[in-house]
Amino acid sequence: MMPLRRFRIHQPGTIAEAAEMLAHFGESGRLYAGGTELLLAMKHDVLRFEHLVDVKTVPGLAGIEANGGWLRIGGVATHRSIEISPVVRQRLPLFAEMEAKVANGRVRATGTLAGNLCFAEPHSDPATLLLALEARVRVEGRSGPRTLTIQELIPGAYQTSLASDEILTAVEIPLPKNGQRASYLKFQVHERPTLGLALVMETQDRGQAIATARVAVGCVCPFPRRSRQAESLLVGDRPQVERNLSQAAEVLADEADLIDDLEGGADYKRHLISVFLKRAFACAFPGR
Amino acid sequence: MSEGIPLFPLSFEVNGRAVELEIEPQESLAEVLRNRLNLTGTKVSCEVQVCGACTVLVDGLPVSACTFLAYEARNKKVLTIEGLAAPDGTLHPLQQAFVDESAFQCGFCTPGMILAARALLEERPLPTEEEIRASMDGNICRCTGYLPIVHAIQKAAQALRSRS
Amino acid sequence: MSEKKREFYVVNHSVPRGDGVAKVTGQAKYASDVVLPGMAYAKLLRSPYAHARILSIKVGEAEAQPGVFAVLTGDRLEGLNPYYGHAVKDHPVLAMGKVRYVGEPVVAVVAVDERTAFQALDHITVQYEEMPAVLSVEQALAKGAPILHERTFAAGGFRGFEADVSAGRGTNICQEAHVTWGDADKAFAEAAAVVEGEYYYPMAYAYAMEPYVCVAEVNESGVTCYSSCQHPFIVRHDVAGVFNLPVSKVRLVVPFVGGGYGSKSYTKIEPLTAACAWKARRPVKLQLSVEEAVLTTRSDDALVRERTAVDAQGKLLARQATIYLNTGAYAENSPLVCEKAANRAAGPYRIPNARIDCYGVYTNTAPASSFRGFGSAQVTLAAESQIDEIAEKIGQDPLAFRLANVAERGEVFFPKSRPLDGDLKSDLKKVADLLGWDKPLPKGKGRAVGCTASDAGAYPVTSAAVRVHGDGSVSVLTGSTELGQGSHTIVAQIAAEEIGVPFEKVRVVGSDTAITPFDRSTGASRTTTLMGRAVLEACQDAVSQMRAMAADVLRCPVEEVTLMRGGVQRGADRLDWSQVLARYFGLPDGEVLGRAYLRKAGDLSQLPVFWELGCLGVQVSVDEETGRVHLEKLAVVGDVGLAINPALAEGQDLGAATMGMGIGLYEELIYDGEQLVNNSLLDYRVPRFSDLPEELHLALTENQDGVGPYGAKGGGEGSLNPISSALVNALYRATGVRLRRVPLLPERVWRALRDARHGRESCPAPTKQDAKSRREAG
Repeated sequence: MMPLRRFRIHQPGTIAEAAEMLAHFGESGRLYAGGTELLLAMKHDVLRFEHLVDVKTVPGLAGIEANGGWLRIGGVATHRSIEISPVVRQRLPLFAEMEAKVANGRVRATGTLAGNLCFAEPHSDPATLLLALEARVRVEGRSGPRTLTIQELIPGAYQTSLASDEILTAVEIPLPKNGQRASYLKFQVHERPTLGLALVMETQDRGQAIATARVAVGCVCPFPRRSRQAESLLVGDRPQVERNLSQAAEVLADEADLIDDLEGGADYKRHLISVFLKRAFACAFPGR
Repeated sequence: MSEGIPLFPLSFEVNGRAVELEIEPQESLAEVLRNRLNLTGTKVSCEVQVCGACTVLVDGLPVSACTFLAYEARNKKVLTIEGLAAPDGTLHPLQQAFVDESAFQCGFCTPGMILAARALLEERPLPTEEEIRASMDGNICRCTGYLPIVHAIQKAAQALRSRS
Repeated sequence: MSEKKREFYVVNHSVPRGDGVAKVTGQAKYASDVVLPGMAYAKLLRSPYAHARILSIKVGEAEAQPGVFAVLTGDRLEGLNPYYGHAVKDHPVLAMGKVRYVGEPVVAVVAVDERTAFQALDHITVQYEEMPAVLSVEQALAKGAPILHERTFAAGGFRGFEADVSAGRGTNICQEAHVTWGDADKAFAEAAAVVEGEYYYPMAYAYAMEPYVCVAEVNESGVTCYSSCQHPFIVRHDVAGVFNLPVSKVRLVVPFVGGGYGSKSYTKIEPLTAACAWKARRPVKLQLSVEEAVLTTRSDDALVRERTAVDAQGKLLARQATIYLNTGAYAENSPLVCEKAANRAAGPYRIPNARIDCYGVYTNTAPASSFRGFGSAQVTLAAESQIDEIAEKIGQDPLAFRLANVAERGEVFFPKSRPLDGDLKSDLKKVADLLGWDKPLPKGKGRAVGCTASDAGAYPVTSAAVRVHGDGSVSVLTGSTELGQGSHTIVAQIAAEEIGVPFEKVRVVGSDTAITPFDRSTGASRTTTLMGRAVLEACQDAVSQMRAMAADVLRCPVEEVTLMRGGVQRGADRLDWSQVLARYFGLPDGEVLGRAYLRKAGDLSQLPVFWELGCLGVQVSVDEETGRVHLEKLAVVGDVGLAINPALAEGQDLGAATMGMGIGLYEELIYDGEQLVNNSLLDYRVPRFSDLPEELHLALTENQDGVGPYGAKGGGEGSLNPISSALVNALYRATGVRLRRVPLLPERVWRALRDARHGRESCPAPTKQDAKSRREAG
């Protein structure tokens, strides 16, 4: 058995109190939500904290709602609650489908979306899709609230740009307009995905033309990446875009800072990006 | 050995009975169930939330008791393998089907496997084989090759349906 | 032993397992559930170096921690014999003087609970002087290589074979084995066609879901260990040696075991746990995590250079193989794996000439030992790949080629051994039928068959006792351990069959060396054959005694008493066993003790005890874009003589095939330099529900041709052995690309397909990951 080292748990009643606690404990404290990543790292002695601040005791952070063109997911909403949320299933089914395939049912029952983002594990499914969906996160600390994009939030593997007293209070995803075509695919050998690829397109002419496109890859690189240049190749008439897919994949791979690791060599991952961009595109236009 | 760390009062329900304990905050639910409540049916294996041997249900949802803090069970209902059979000892249809189909060998994955299956059947009373494979994919059995487990879950689903 | 198939009452029926209710209700107790009054917990500090001298160990601060009872190091073992090993006594209880692999236990802390022991490890300082390490067989065999073991060793008492100990003779060779017959060189010179190649079978982890655990108590009555071990009697021997005690003073109790697959055979953490209990003067529990368990035992990875020749008629002419096994830092059971790998390398074919040379080599990596299949899986990748290769070379169908060359039933295909006691030819045909061998397949799919024969059963020494109680119920005392394979169920079936009582009236008393009679081991698929037969003979002994008792109470000669199911009759008088015993003893609960001892004599004098056959077929589909190989159809035939419990026999076949598929497709332990990098289930990928083939056929061949009870033979390893090669051969038939190493990871397959398209050699180019593990391959 791998016992956890001794720590204390603190139960803030408000975000402000949580921020104060985190500031007070400094490096010996850490925000704790689902704990699915944090507690594993602590068991393995990769991280040691004497104080965990349980953000779940702050009321009102678990909600999921659609409002003003945005889907807003509270900072302690679990993967499971998102997966089964009628609002998410109705308004952003792709996100619910992605959530339903995160890790396994036990992780989804306890792990939170915000926690997943804040841990910035490179093999995260949600971060890649949120990046392509141009989601933003709401953050609050002692110096007040601010809003960050996913790129801003996750600058590196296991890194976020949050100050040590800041708390991710909500993830906000723009609701799709008519004509949006999107897909998220992953390729997995081990427990965590080898590759995640998200493609989100705004189409016109009943899907015959693509007005804007956003494509993101994750897992193959230290943190999820988009490529504007690749996206520019994915705009235009559908047949033309289809012809551009290989080139777009190359560009995306060039910009993604692919890594060699247990999941495979960088050249294999480059190849997978190409395979899965094509598959994602086909998936976004089913029944052709 | 709490070195001045205050104990945390934990009240929760285990297999239908109210339990009040004082725990240390870092204690996992598996530690509390196994070491304090002597409910050793909950097995600990991979310790990284992959294998599912330690699966118990908390308010009906499966969690990995090896990593789930006992603290998180406060005011909740925990179901372990010891609480699944009827009070008179009659096996739950899933348990009976696992026996009938030889859906285990060493038995170390079995408590978690049965509880994961129970959570599945609560959500989908008559799952397809596809759904069983997908939902159970997070529980590992190293002995059987899985087929008898699929059969057992299908059989239990039928039994539960004809019972209700 | 074999008799004509008769009508069976309990045997040959799929009765539900005797341990079923205990296992589905959480009541089944495993060693990890054992708690003794006053028990403390141990945690281990492990070596960060692959090869280093230990200069000093400072433990004072750890000892002073509240809740710590004792700290044990290699130089605090005075009074004990610190080395053990059933084959080679090379294994120290804790590192002595130097460490030989990353992860080797160096210090044990015993404390009031696991957390306290674990946190106390922070307060220990060990000073090391690093030494050059050998991390691959190639490095270990190089001239001037650093030597892991400088001493020479006496052979342990349970090596299981005759050859000399190679360990400690100035090289890193732990064991070598050589098998020759005919004249291989001459045959290759005269052959009509030859194929040759180099194959690599990976280092694997058995992942028994219950990691190693032991609870030990040392007091004036001796040493008692509750352990998750497969071979309690051999562990008893080792522990008695460490503590200098007679075996009667060492008691090994084995509750339910959470999986073994060979990885729990022989001694693991029992001497260390007992030493902790001895030092701390209280019972101690040591339970390893999975990540520590991998560092305790893995399987030998194998580099095999092999060639195969045929004559102009398409008959196999010769095989020659050189095998290098990476044994790791300590011998454990690798010497026997080496011996078995050599014996199994030529395969179950009629081959007039063969030369096999096998070397088990020490390296500064985690110790390797038994793993289900025992060398066979390692060498079969090469052997069965080459059967397909040579068949293709001479334009033959691989099934037809096998049918033309496979050994016939009753044929002596391996020198000085038992004739083949199974019907592989008909098994192969059965598999081909189940698979639909001749049906056309679309592009991207392929089929293959494979077969193996393993010299199984280990050394045939086994005993059993059966008590028939006054009420007609029965207790079976068996030293075989219940690992999940169902041994307790099948011995109960045999006892119920022989004594003539319902299955429910039989209680099996499992392994406890203080109570149950000696059994060499639970492994090598021997339990049904040997323990099953010992129980059968013990029942017959009891029945014969009870018949004499009946004659006594009926006041007639024994010859006039005839046996009927569950009792006797003489004329119109019928007595069941409870009546015989009640009248004989004049008390309700008098009992009879039947016993049997098996040894290497009579029909067990010729080894192997039996040939364990593996025969299966696969159909795979390949996603050529990603390289992912999927097993979509599996057909397994278990040639088991007679299935005491058909459901359990088929369960073993599917379980073994699934485990083999895991290694064929995904599983491989990877060393990056000195460090094992994937010893967690997060990165070591074992088969899951989603890997279950869409179509599965399990069949049994029951010719009652074994030396076990009713003609039974063992199973449980057979279908693991040929599956990797079958996957490789099926991939070849699907794509035209042949890989000579497994697992067939998507990336590896993709590289091979890409290289083939570019007209390059079809052996996969080393990736960075490959480079890491290939270093181990030499």
